[in-house]
Amino acid sequence: MDKRKIISAGLAILSIVLFIFIWYLCTDVLELVPARTLPSPEKVLDSFIKKFHDKNPDGGTLIEHTLASLQVALTGYLWAIIIGVPLGIFMAWNRNVDKFVRPLFDLLKPIPGVAWIPLMIVIFGIGIKSKAAVVFCSAVVPCILNSYTGIKQSKEVHMWVARTFGATRLQMLWTVAIPTALPHIMTGIRVALSSAWVAIVAAELLGSTKGLGFMIQQSRGIYRTDIIIVGMLAIGICGIILSIILSFIEHLVVKGRK
Amino acid sequence: MMDTKKLKQLAKDSVYGLISVCVFLCIWAFGVRTSDIGIVMPGPGKVIYEFIQSFFVPIGKYTMPGHILWSLYRVLPAYIVGSVLGIVIGIAMGWFRYVNSFLRPLYEMIRPIPPIAWIPISIVWFGIGEGSKWFIIFLAAFVPVVLNSISGAKSVDPLLLKCGEMLGADKKYIFRTIVLPYSVPYIFSGLQVALSASWATVVAAEMIRSSEGVGWIIISSMDTNNVTQSLVGIVGIGIVGFILAVMMRELEGRLCRWTVREN
Repeated sequence: MDKRKIISAGLAILSIVLFIFIWYLCTDVLELVPARTLPSPEKVLDSFIKKFHDKNPDGGTLIEHTLASLQVALTGYLWAIIIGVPLGIFMAWNRNVDKFVRPLFDLLKPIPGVAWIPLMIVIFGIGIKSKAAVVFCSAVVPCILNSYTGIKQSKEVHMWVARTFGATRLQMLWTVAIPTALPHIMTGIRVALSSAWVAIVAAELLGSTKGLGFMIQQSRGIYRTDIIIVGMLAIGICGIILSIILSFIEHLVVKGRK
Repeated sequence: MMDTKKLKQLAKDSVYGLISVCVFLCIWAFGVRTSDIGIVMPGPGKVIYEFIQSFFVPIGKYTMPGHILWSLYRVLPAYIVGSVLGIVIGIAMGWFRYVNSFLRPLYEMIRPIPPIAWIPISIVWFGIGEGSKWFIIFLAAFVPVVLNSISGAKSVDPLLLKCGEMLGADKKYIFRTIVLPYSVPYIFSGLQVALSASWATVVAAEMIRSSEGVGWIIISSMDTNNVTQSLVGIVGIGIVGFILAVMMRELEGRLCRWTVREN
């Protein structure tokens, strides 16, 4: 058992070392690929550290860009939760609402959030608002969908018990259905977070003056591949950090998980 | 067999659906007529008319079906390659411990980066042609399929495995008759997620750099300030996305009848 664990850990370390070594070999030592196409790992690390305080070449440090992206993404994301989760619960709880809203929702669901960008720019202008609206459009769908299935999955028997004990409909929703649905709702919120993060990168690639998406798009124009990779790493790291924070919150909120 | 009760319910539901869509369109039409938003937004009638017209009158170089085919041509090959590779790697990672520990770190490096963020670097690597788009779609399909295949192969009921072992099946046999069938539903849900992710990604990729395709319809409308065209593009993207999802669900229903999806 222990031996297996050691081998596993060894293989994991080996794979990363091998990856970086091959990358290094192809770029710096053998120079198989030109530095313009793929900079060496050393150069990327160097640019990563430098970018924390260097505004060149796109007019912002890494932290400024990250904060700009986060601000927009979180604005749209919070709105998506505030509107999406109650709407999903409401749709699942009230059959009449379900009948009317469900077809509309099914109609709008398959449209990817990115497709709304031009329309949102026309309606909200080119500032934060339009980007937050695009983020909202992509993040609201999983929020609604998961809250809906969560509520629908509450057990009939539990409902009957509640009714036998004379619970009102509101009490049944509040004490039976929502706690049952909570793990599902949290999953929806988690999926929505990654959709939001994707949407903001896409929105920034298309048109903005700040943010990580803008940074990588700008660097492509001037062939600074090292900064593109730095930006991609930053996007990935932010995504990981956000989802860690979220699972921490999930741990606090959701009780009675398996 | 469909009894009359079910049929009645279906008819009722579709009537409700129709009413709700009509109410939505009416609110849209009314809003456009009466408020300031009418200056920038066309009414639903115009959008539907233009959408139908786009099948006969080309937007840019192609008509609507032409653009849709271009986008599908970008999605499907990369989606298929990404899915097949994803299934193979995912199952291997889920079933063989050491494969998992070797590939996990590399996979975890790719996973958190959204495929859209690869667009700039893929343009540097593969040029602005189809290659860069295929690469991005490949990633968009590969990542979710691997994730679901891993969890499929990992969640095989241990009781079944022990049963197989006790009845004298060797490892190969167990893998083929227990692990694979058990993971198929998981793989399919990964394929489902991957397909919609690929479709969304191709739209984004076409918006950033292309001269045809449904994403191009939307982005070129931005340049010419033609909101109707952008809405027509959105309608097209939505319809194709919907059809793809329905087709996938049908395929799943046909291919794995043993799946019980609670819904």
